[in-house]
Amino acid sequence: MSAATMSRQPGFANSSIGRALRSSWGARVTSYFAFVVAWQIVGASFFRVPTPWETLDFIWREVSGGDHGGVRPGQFWEHFSATVPRFAIGISVAFVIGVVVGLLIGSFSFVRALLSDVLLVFLALPAIIWAFLTVMWFGLGWEAPVYTVILSAAPFVAVNVAQGVRAVSPELRRMSDAFGVPRNRRIRSMLLPAITGYLFTGLRFAVIIGWNAVLLAEWFGAVDGVGWRARLWYDAARYKGFVGWAIIFIVFIFLLDGLVLSPLQRRAFRWRASPSSDLKAEVGAVDTESFTNTAIGL
Amino acid sequence: MGWAAFFGIWAFVSAVILDEFTLPGPLKVWNEILEIVRGGSWADDFLISISKTFMGFMIALIVGVPVGYMMGRAGYWKAFFHDGVVGAGSIPGIVYAIIALVIFGIGFQGPILAVGLISMPFIALNVAEGLEGVDRDLLSMSTAFGRSDRQALRHILIPSIMPFAFAGVRLSFAIAWKVEALTEVFGSSNGVGFQIRFAFQGFSIAGVLAWTLMFIALLLLIERGLAIVERWLFRWRTWEQAA
Repeated sequence: MSAATMSRQPGFANSSIGRALRSSWGARVTSYFAFVVAWQIVGASFFRVPTPWETLDFIWREVSGGDHGGVRPGQFWEHFSATVPRFAIGISVAFVIGVVVGLLIGSFSFVRALLSDVLLVFLALPAIIWAFLTVMWFGLGWEAPVYTVILSAAPFVAVNVAQGVRAVSPELRRMSDAFGVPRNRRIRSMLLPAITGYLFTGLRFAVIIGWNAVLLAEWFGAVDGVGWRARLWYDAARYKGFVGWAIIFIVFIFLLDGLVLSPLQRRAFRWRASPSSDLKAEVGAVDTESFTNTAIGL
Repeated sequence: MGWAAFFGIWAFVSAVILDEFTLPGPLKVWNEILEIVRGGSWADDFLISISKTFMGFMIALIVGVPVGYMMGRAGYWKAFFHDGVVGAGSIPGIVYAIIALVIFGIGFQGPILAVGLISMPFIALNVAEGLEGVDRDLLSMSTAFGRSDRQALRHILIPSIMPFAFAGVRLSFAIAWKVEALTEVFGSSNGVGFQIRFAFQGFSIAGVLAWTLMFIALLLLIERGLAIVERWLFRWRTWEQAA
């Protein structure tokens, strides 16, 4: 049977709904649906796991300030507004420190030899260690979350910036030496175009790692904030609150990544002739070489 | 020189900028490590954590390789898994710990699940990428000579996928090892993460640093080890890289 007669045959697979389902858009919708169904099944089989509906109901009550079975009113905005400044300050400071250290490591081989192993250890340190140390140093309060964000995010910015500086082609560098190109023109036309992409990758890493860091630090060492609130529900053994907050954490970082960081990154690369469209470039995190190679081969 | 600089800076910060209590120096932490080693149970904790990590990798391979295979072979499945696999990279580690804790409580399965969840996307992505590079000529030749699909799978597809699956394991090792420890911090009764939590609750800064240093040393050792094993396992591929 030829393709032409196939398409004339009536049937679900060839109806407009069938075609829509097989399109890539349809595949994505189906995947979200499948995820909810899978969650429902897991929720029904493990007694601690809340169902999607229970979780959604909880998130709605928490955000709208409705009550949770008469016990505690929802306090989403109160805690969210405590966390966001900590996160923002931490990321800003981490970015500045990371850029400075990265530029130094990338420009001077002496600094690189001195700091590459220090950086390797900092990259390998899990955020939870910084959370524990800062809580022991500063006690409960705003300091532990802010410092945890700075300490865990800055190394990733530094590594990316250093790689960007080293990506400036040596030929260009030698040529501008030979022709006596002035310093500020070198920075503007040679260094900046080379490191812009690396700067944004570094920022994206910092945001993703910093978000996890602020949550951990608030969990163990704060008296308010979203991490603390999630812990409250965990300690009260109210698992739908715990899972509801995990969903909020994911939604926040996805929105930030999708609406702010990825468009910025695309903008920074728009001068490039053909933006790479493969799957790995989108993830970024996977697009690094082996962990130690990344850190050592700065 | 790099490591000398590391310990030098550490000793300087500890002795001059801060104080011995806030940031114990290298010597004090080294004594703490000796103390832990003399205690004897450290090997058990590390063995437990490592075996949980590798069990997690087994699960990630069992799920991730077929997912990557489907993504590499069919546009539909590529679109189906795209959002999940790409988005997984930005989910905070604490969420994996929460999922593990909610499903399994304080059991040994929690960290295994967390490792599996976090490294599965890496493996799937690598396999999908690798499949796109499979020699199409080899595939059409095997069809032309009447080889069955099973034979093509066994002799062409699987050998081409495995290096990429292994690279996925190696690439995700550092992040998986961190999430494993994090999950143990949140809920476990043994393992490295549990010991770090225990030191934290005893307010022992030197203890936290000692366990952390051992943790990092092992991370770097295993990372290097995996790279060596990878080169040895797939040494038959060298002609391809040379070309």
